Amino acid sequence: MRVLLRRLMGVAVGGALAGCAGQHHPMNTLVTKSNLASWIYSLFVQVTFWDLLVLAIVVAALALAIFWFSTRVGDPTEPAAFQSDTRLELAWIIGPALILLAITVPTVRTIIRTQPNRWPKNALTVKVIAHRWWWEFSYPQYHIQTADELHLPVNREIHFELTSADIIHSFWVPALGGKRDVIPGQVNQITLIANTPGEYYGQCAEFCGLSHANMRFRVFVQTQDGFKKWMDHQLKPPVNPGSGPAAAGAAIYKNAPCAICHQIRGVSGFSKQYTYGFRGPDLTHFGSRTTIAAGILDNNPKNLARWIANPPEVKPGARMPALGVRGKELDELVAYLESLK
Amino acid sequence: MSANIAQSAALEHEHPGVSIYVTVAVFLILLTGMELTVFYVQFLQPVLVPLLIILAIAKFSLVAMFYMHLHYDSKVFTTFFIFPLMLAVTLAISLLLLFEYLLHHLSFAL
Amino acid sequence: MAAQPKPLPVEGPHYLEGGGILGWLTTVDHKRVAVLYGVTALLLMLVGGTEAMLIRTQLMRPDNHVLTAAWYNQIFTMHGTTMIFLVIMPLETGFFANFLIPLQIGARDVAFPRINALSYWLFLAGAVFMHLGLVTHVLNLGTVPSGLPNAGWFGYANLTESQYSPGLNIDFWDIGLLILGVSSVLAALNFFVTIVNMRAPGMTFMRMPMFMWAILVTTILILLAFPALTVGLIFLFLDRFFGTHFYRVTAGATPILWQHLFWIFGHPEVYIMALPAFGMISEILPVFSRKPLFGYPMMAYSLVLIAFLSYGVWGHHMFATGMGPIADATFAITSMLIAIPTGIKVFSWIATVWGGRLRFTTAMLFALAFIIEFTIGGLSGIMHASAPIDLQQTDSYFVVAHFHYVLGGGVLFAILGAFYYWCPKISGRMLDETLGKWQFWLLVIGFNLTFFPMHWLGTWGMPRRIYTYAPGMGWSTLNFVETIGAYIQAVSFIVFFANILLTLRRGEKAAADPWDGRTLEWSVASPPPAYNFAVLPEGGSRDDFWVQKYGTLAGAHGGGSSAAGATAAAHAAAEAAEHIHMPAPSLYPLLFALGVFLMGVGALAWLRIVILGGMVVALSIIAMAFEYPAHGEEAAESEPVFYRGVDNRKAGMWAFLGSECVFFTALISTYMVYKSRNLAGPDAQILNIPLTSFSTFILLMSSLLMVLALAAFRRGDDKWGRIWLLGTAGFGCIFLGGQVYEFTDFYLQGLYMQTNIFGQTFYTLVGTHGFHVFIGVCWLVTLAIAGFLGKIDSKRSLAVEIAGLYWHFVDVVWIVIFTLVYLMRTVKHA
Repeated sequence: MRVLLRRLMGVAVGGALAGCAGQHHPMNTLVTKSNLASWIYSLFVQVTFWDLLVLAIVVAALALAIFWFSTRVGDPTEPAAFQSDTRLELAWIIGPALILLAITVPTVRTIIRTQPNRWPKNALTVKVIAHRWWWEFSYPQYHIQTADELHLPVNREIHFELTSADIIHSFWVPALGGKRDVIPGQVNQITLIANTPGEYYGQCAEFCGLSHANMRFRVFVQTQDGFKKWMDHQLKPPVNPGSGPAAAGAAIYKNAPCAICHQIRGVSGFSKQYTYGFRGPDLTHFGSRTTIAAGILDNNPKNLARWIANPPEVKPGARMPALGVRGKELDELVAYLESLK
Repeated sequence: MSANIAQSAALEHEHPGVSIYVTVAVFLILLTGMELTVFYVQFLQPVLVPLLIILAIAKFSLVAMFYMHLHYDSKVFTTFFIFPLMLAVTLAISLLLLFEYLLHHLSFAL
Repeated sequence: MAAQPKPLPVEGPHYLEGGGILGWLTTVDHKRVAVLYGVTALLLMLVGGTEAMLIRTQLMRPDNHVLTAAWYNQIFTMHGTTMIFLVIMPLETGFFANFLIPLQIGARDVAFPRINALSYWLFLAGAVFMHLGLVTHVLNLGTVPSGLPNAGWFGYANLTESQYSPGLNIDFWDIGLLILGVSSVLAALNFFVTIVNMRAPGMTFMRMPMFMWAILVTTILILLAFPALTVGLIFLFLDRFFGTHFYRVTAGATPILWQHLFWIFGHPEVYIMALPAFGMISEILPVFSRKPLFGYPMMAYSLVLIAFLSYGVWGHHMFATGMGPIADATFAITSMLIAIPTGIKVFSWIATVWGGRLRFTTAMLFALAFIIEFTIGGLSGIMHASAPIDLQQTDSYFVVAHFHYVLGGGVLFAILGAFYYWCPKISGRMLDETLGKWQFWLLVIGFNLTFFPMHWLGTWGMPRRIYTYAPGMGWSTLNFVETIGAYIQAVSFIVFFANILLTLRRGEKAAADPWDGRTLEWSVASPPPAYNFAVLPEGGSRDDFWVQKYGTLAGAHGGGSSAAGATAAAHAAAEAAEHIHMPAPSLYPLLFALGVFLMGVGALAWLRIVILGGMVVALSIIAMAFEYPAHGEEAAESEPVFYRGVDNRKAGMWAFLGSECVFFTALISTYMVYKSRNLAGPDAQILNIPLTSFSTFILLMSSLLMVLALAAFRRGDDKWGRIWLLGTAGFGCIFLGGQVYEFTDFYLQGLYMQTNIFGQTFYTLVGTHGFHVFIGVCWLVTLAIAGFLGKIDSKRSLAVEIAGLYWHFVDVVWIVIFTLVYLMRTVKHA
């Protein structure tokens, strides 16, 4: 019976949301790729069903009142005089109350289910630190750090710990579940299991100033093997530039102020006096990322050169200044960074 | 319905006499003395909070009822005052509970 | 149809005539103040609307460059702030309620006419202040570039801290909102007392027009919600100007505090906007359905219930912040509960239309459309009440769709309906119905075309407040459609403004009762005379004017009053009108607001201007205080003004004290929360119990002297009255002296306001109380001087009683502070 009701709801809501078919929507909240997202989706379907039902009743009642059960000006009969009806009034208190009950029970159940206060020991912990305007991701169990591109294994419990280095942001990957605000001084949590490998989009959802719109990121959910491969690669030291333009670029990286904010493990670490408030993305395996500047540009030499030449021009308010690296030097630096696969 | 309607002549209401004012003052001082006793006496520390709150409510009520004449005045004023007061107390308790959770579950010091 | 009895014809000038510009600047007539509000708010509506068009133009295509990120952020912030604080609230409360309260309850004016004018001028000051960023931008003033406010209409901390928002942008917002808050609270106080205390003799609460119910509840919401915002804004002000850490993480504080304070205000604020709209619809539907409002008692109770619940749901704006499952579930349930009274309203409106004889005027069309649009907004609200769903939808375009259906399709439609409905009464001319219907259909199409697709955009993950988006996100088509919809809305508003301008120039003259109305405002001429009613009405039944005309509430057979009776009444009215004294105009409200504006400007520019502004404010207050008895005497002697058993001023003071309860609670809660989060430096152990015990004793004794002073004045013993008054003030000074000593002592021990979060909350809480004592001392001294001038005697002892109420309240607050702050200094609260 319940299954049937769910089905019915699904059909009704599915029809109402038919518009979502056909087009490509990388941030669609209705295409669920984790247990968390499906729980929320199932609740959404139920509530939408009740909402549409109530809307239909209201529209129908108003239409009846206007087009059938009323007269027009000029009609000689005086209108009906009723101004209260206890049974009717009780009905529209009790009816909505029952519908609300039908919504509240699964709501509370989902609240409790989606906010567990413990998670399995073998859960993968991912630390998310939001910065203006990029994302730092680290895996404390594996000593891996990366930025703006998050890799997750499929079918394994993942425990996110979210905090901010400056102001309030919000971590949102619609396919994997609802958003959580990322608040300085506070550690928020999300626990979920991603169930389908694929590339998903995420974006900051709490207004955080000038480049709020440009604080995007990608999530790559990989098979367990794929994730392990990625992790092993991340643990490797950076690629040796050898000789050629990349080697010249490495020298520029070390001498230019890049290393103040950006770490390349084994080449330069974070200086201690710069706490993470000043930190920029880790570049150790920069070349292996698909995007740059918090998911707003494809990672290719042309875009990278444009970014380094003048970051605030690409991303308003970007805290990385234009460093005056130009011409051949710029090409060499780009070559080096792109070589860091 | 005309019973609750009064012209400005009825604005006058009974005020307590000077003797009542002085008596209330004596009680206020006594209650303050009790508060200090509770504060300084060691063995009362475990029940400090409830005792102090009861004493403060007593003082609060004395001033509101007699000096602010709520006891004598139109009940309208009592409503004007009690409703916001209750609301305020509820808000305060809710905020304390919400931040208690925040402090114990989510906060860290930078 | 039975021959309609005519409303009383009143000869003589109406309220809009005469006076010149000075007359408008000094007016205290509620109708003129309302018109000032209305004109200002309509101009600001143009500003807010233009901002909306800019936003939509920028979002028309992906990666668009019409606006830079910096401009976009300023414009969407100002669009929200303007529409909420400078358009909807002033139109509903400042314009329609202000104009209609006395007319609907049968009074000559509001309770405090000068405070009414003051509210308007403060509103204007706040609105102008909010836009000063344009001046600093154009003239390039300040050390860093500054422009309009740019942190969103709810300005989440800690983005608003000077570290992250260095320009003056946020300061304009912060101080501007503080000024607007004072304006709103004063207006609410005024209207609240007017409705409670000045209704016509027969008009019980259950006979009031539903719009009056809505406004009554709204004023209570304003009184009890704005203090929380004020406290939040004061903290922000201190953080930005004095380097405290109310929202700075480094000192152990949390920016979440702002969200709590803001939404404790912010959710009631939603109903501050929605309830008057409910009231308007409840007036329009019965008139054009020729039927009484269905379920009047339930409609009134549901308003009260909505207001009550609205204080317990603020957390649903914060589900994503991680409040924990228990708080999430609680707020989800309370939020859902609001749907029940709202449902009662929607169904009762439909039942009102059901079986009626409908007239599809523009006002009626807007009211009918309101029911559907508002229901859509309400239903998506239920989704957001469900915390897990909210996590997917909050801060996405789904929420943008939701609140535009509530505030646009809901509130704005109601306001437009109200314009078509009441404009004849206000301006004396009918708005053009043909243009009106053009506007209506354009708006319905444009509105739904703009906002309905936003549900899909939100579902497809488009976050709100982004100035641009990438092409491949699947958002481009709908955004383009929405922008087209927005342009259609713009056309609709051009029609609206054209209609208003044409009407004022050569619109059809309106009769007193053009719609066959049901409530008392239709019983007077259009536009009404300055004194509203020549003979104050009795108001003995619900829909009183209708009953006067037709004899019964529902049916409409036969007239209630005969033609002969009407003529006789008209004669009586003309005679009575000659003896009506209205309050004299006053320039001081304008000066007061000017002083406040100067203080605001000075805070940003030059300290000396603050002092100058403060002096202007102080002088205006004193001048108003001594202006008053003259009016009071005059009124008392010549006019049988009707009051319901209590004095307006005393009722106003009590309502103010109720508001202060919330204000101090916000401060005290912050203290208790932050005390236990203190990281370094002196903490509550520093507090000096012997000294403050003495202060407590002094303040309690000052209360005794205060009542002794009142008792002396009441029995006619002026001399002892003055002595006790000065004694009270003197004890107040001793208390303040103790506080100065205490603060100096802490200062020398190294506890500054900036030292830690204990210091800042302690100084702010206790200092605010001390400031109240200071104001009280000034007040008492002024009263004593008035006593020496012979202006206070046993008949006018009420002035002393009211000052006493304030003084005792300050005493009572101290009792709480002494217990919670001092005696519980060792107790960990949170």
